[in-house]
Amino acid sequence: MTNHWIDLKNSDCILAMGSNPAENHPISFKWVTKAMENGATLISVDPRFTRTSAKADIYSSLRSGTDIPFLGGMIKYILDNNQYFKEYICEYTNATFLVSPDFKLPGDNDGVFSGLEGTKTKEGYVNGKYDKKTWAFQMDENGIPKKDKTLKDPNCVFQLLKKHYSRYNLDKVEQITGTPQEKLLQVYKTYAKTGKSNKSGTIMYAMGWTQHTVGTQNIRTMSIIQLLLGNIGIAGGGVNALRGESNVQGSTDHCLLFHILPGYLKTPKASQPTFKEYNQVYTPKSNDGMSANWWQNYPKYSASLLRELYGTDVSLEEAYTYMPKLDDGANYSWLTIFDEAYKGNINGLFSWGQNPACSGANSNKTRQSMAKMDWLVSVNIFDNETTSFWKAPDMNPKEIKTEVFMLPCAASYEKEGSITNSGRWMQWRYKASEPPGEALPDGDIITDLFLKIKKLYEKDGGTFGEPIKKLRWHKHFDSHVIAKEINGYFLEDKEIKGKLYKKGTLVPSFAYLQDDGSTSSGNWLYCNSYTEKGNMAARRKKSDPSGIGLYAEWSWCWPVNRRILYNRASVDKNGKPWASDKPVISWNGTKWTGDVPDGGWPPMSAGSKSRYPFIMQKDGYGQIFGPGRADGPFSEHYEPLECPVEKNFMSPQFVNPTIKRWDMEGIGTKMDARATCDPRFPIVCTTYRVSEHWQTGVMTRWQPWLVEMQPSMFVEMSKELAKLKQIKNGTIVTVKSLRGKVDAVAIVTQRFKPFTVAGTTVHEVGIPWHYGWVTTAERKYDSGDKKPELFTFGDSANLVTPNIGDANTMIPESKAFMVDVIRKEGS
Amino acid sequence: MVEMAIFIDVSKCTGCRSCQVACKNWNQLKAEKTTNRGTHENPPDLSANTWNRVRFNEVVNDGKLQWLFLNDRCRHCEEAPCMFAAEDVPGAIIKDKSGAVIFTEKTKQLKYEDVRGSCPFDIPRYDEKTGQIYKCTMCIDRITNGLKPACVTACPTGTLNFGPKAEMLKLANKRVEQLGGDAAIYPGEEYNTFWVLPETEENYGLEAKATVSTSRKFAWNKILSPWGTLGLAAGFIGCLSKADTVTDQEQTR
Repeated sequence: MTNHWIDLKNSDCILAMGSNPAENHPISFKWVTKAMENGATLISVDPRFTRTSAKADIYSSLRSGTDIPFLGGMIKYILDNNQYFKEYICEYTNATFLVSPDFKLPGDNDGVFSGLEGTKTKEGYVNGKYDKKTWAFQMDENGIPKKDKTLKDPNCVFQLLKKHYSRYNLDKVEQITGTPQEKLLQVYKTYAKTGKSNKSGTIMYAMGWTQHTVGTQNIRTMSIIQLLLGNIGIAGGGVNALRGESNVQGSTDHCLLFHILPGYLKTPKASQPTFKEYNQVYTPKSNDGMSANWWQNYPKYSASLLRELYGTDVSLEEAYTYMPKLDDGANYSWLTIFDEAYKGNINGLFSWGQNPACSGANSNKTRQSMAKMDWLVSVNIFDNETTSFWKAPDMNPKEIKTEVFMLPCAASYEKEGSITNSGRWMQWRYKASEPPGEALPDGDIITDLFLKIKKLYEKDGGTFGEPIKKLRWHKHFDSHVIAKEINGYFLEDKEIKGKLYKKGTLVPSFAYLQDDGSTSSGNWLYCNSYTEKGNMAARRKKSDPSGIGLYAEWSWCWPVNRRILYNRASVDKNGKPWASDKPVISWNGTKWTGDVPDGGWPPMSAGSKSRYPFIMQKDGYGQIFGPGRADGPFSEHYEPLECPVEKNFMSPQFVNPTIKRWDMEGIGTKMDARATCDPRFPIVCTTYRVSEHWQTGVMTRWQPWLVEMQPSMFVEMSKELAKLKQIKNGTIVTVKSLRGKVDAVAIVTQRFKPFTVAGTTVHEVGIPWHYGWVTTAERKYDSGDKKPELFTFGDSANLVTPNIGDANTMIPESKAFMVDVIRKEGS
Repeated sequence: MVEMAIFIDVSKCTGCRSCQVACKNWNQLKAEKTTNRGTHENPPDLSANTWNRVRFNEVVNDGKLQWLFLNDRCRHCEEAPCMFAAEDVPGAIIKDKSGAVIFTEKTKQLKYEDVRGSCPFDIPRYDEKTGQIYKCTMCIDRITNGLKPACVTACPTGTLNFGPKAEMLKLANKRVEQLGGDAAIYPGEEYNTFWVLPETEENYGLEAKATVSTSRKFAWNKILSPWGTLGLAAGFIGCLSKADTVTDQEQTR
């Protein structure tokens, strides 16, 4: 979230799209409700009428996988009706920037942007990659992007934007999304009103936007809208990702993913053999003195991380050689891991706090791949489908050689530490009770494991053992010690801005981190969280001098306790808040008051002493034109890999040309089949969660009070589809795709309605993904197997989902694919 | 302790059912074996182990679909009909000064049909194992120790509120005014648990109660005179004819 949970209450208009906060982020609804009490409008856009829709002022449906046309139409509406915030976009966004005259938009280029290289098929390009040469900005003689503040130059971002989204007219959008035009207009009109300088609109999105082959571009489209309306940086605005797990923000910040190191530093590549070369590649340079270009500090953060990992006994250059390197162009994300495992190229797996047998797309492939490994370690609090994969109903334990270890671990209440919520608040939590039996906190387990591995290297040697042998590690895990190391220390006496900081003291904030090896920090973003003043995350002061719910002394928030990101965009050039009734920061003539500003420089009217508000961008401007993405600087509609239409009504390019096509020969396996516009699978299917269960249900399916409320896998469908398929409410049916099938109880409801897409009727159904065979009555329980107090019914939704990933993130497209639903014999 | 009340602002309910779980947790009530019956609503009815329950009603009015959530539970009547049905066993059903109507262990000595039948809202439930009759206690063990009822504490949206009755009524009346339209206090002000319904009672299936036993009619007659509210009685008798037609809470109206 650029903003935070409480800030939702400041909004004038809340768009819940790609999310269902009432059900899946129930506490957020406290603040949505407060906003509504203050007169805010809630809009719910979802293929299905949800518990959020039930509370919304406006509900609109759309066919799954068509968010870009839906929002593209909104961009067109905002531009056609002059609803954008002109001063904001001229001063704070790159709308004025001039793009290379060689740049081509998809409307003039067969549905793709200029520079695409790939294989051309009758569906357009596949497995393509963009050469981004033509996406570059025109530079002046000083190497600064050329701008046209009148917004009239045909090559300026604003004009390109206008031209690009002019194709997303109401007829076209209705044809693709299946949403009636009057509903589209109602949503557009209502949301566009937040373009007024003193009004704010916010977006609450979640996996309904990310789990698509165009997931990143769904969010990009909304980011463009938020910039056009001047909704970034202000109270009640922003782009807000509702994370799917209480600490997923924290785990991402601390590098859960393969392509990043802590604090979003980049994982080194094989082509970057030295620390110097590595830093050079990732340290952006701007020639514009008014661009803060914050990432210019990259070498300070990377050096401090290496010091944290390897200490002062080895040089920074040497420490860098110990870091794992990615092969250039290789991808090590989830789908790749299980594809390689299925092909027999991965021997072992640590499944830590996860249940891949249910949580990953195309579960049959995932489950089969586990059977091909030599060993599997499952660290979890309960038995689950991964731990017990070898005795699943469709497995023969005698034929499986995989050796499986179960390590019981402590639940979150059984250990001390911090979690970071979606709003970037790092909150300290205390231990409530001892873990049961042999269960240990994760930190203890990994410490035992590491020390054992280190000992083996010391004893037996081994290839490239230095990175392990020289890594700093404590004999015992202590969350306070680790939290301090994440913050970072001065490793020698250091004088900064006339003040002496003693060796061994905690660094006050990342502005003090050094590139010469004199400081350490496990994660620069968290530098300032645990200082000589104490554990900032443990603060619990309930006062709110800001008046807008910042609660600055409750816990701590990255970066440097700034509660609303890009808050320098919440004021005009003189530092006066656009919305005087809910100021985030304000310039009093000598300093800023309110939230921690995005840098203390005076407002823009101060000229060269000031800095542009978007400090994390190289040029300092909000990116309406975003050349960093793999699949285009603007968003463009492509159909989901599996869809109910035989062509893309927008262009000859059927699906996203830059996604990795596992279904193509020589790339994936026979398990990666695709069925698009296939009469055997005529129904669109989407997946979701319910309030009563969590993730794959590992924690909730063992909890009888939750199981009694949602005991079984279900499939929701319209009355029209049920009639067509002769399915009665409450009976058991089978949902099947080309990859697998799952039984479910039919919920026949008016909350799903058939869509009219390009003149034909398209049906959609939805299934939750919380279930699994381990807690069912039908399975065999051996002696010693834990038996649930109440059984659940049904298995994972992922038995039918496809393994195809987003072009930028590789998040699987679990939200739009094709199935059939059939009555079960006897039902 | 001053007279307290639970005020349920239905307009804010998202059907998350944290109230159902919180009740079971605090009161250590067993989970029930359920099935999905083609609705998200579960358990299907109140029971000796389920003292509050969210009803899910799908209704279409003037072509507009609504999904209405209603937390159903004891109303803690000021003059509780169940107490009349328990007259013969002193101390079986008590009206506490907090406003809570409490079923004690002595309900074992009562005739279940009479107690259930006496309740115009069909709340009391019998446990065959213990022989006792149960329902919401307003968390009497919490509220007399300065805590809010468990369900109120768990509610994320401000749907459930607890406090001095006078304050709760003030809140409720203000909410009725804000919501306008058909919004009204239900069942009325003479209760220590009351709702503000944004829609008519009919939309929540409140006029269409489950079957009414003979003894219940008997008990109703017994209490008619002390209440003296003929209008209410007429409404009640009026719904008898519809009594057995409504089984699926998600039906269309």
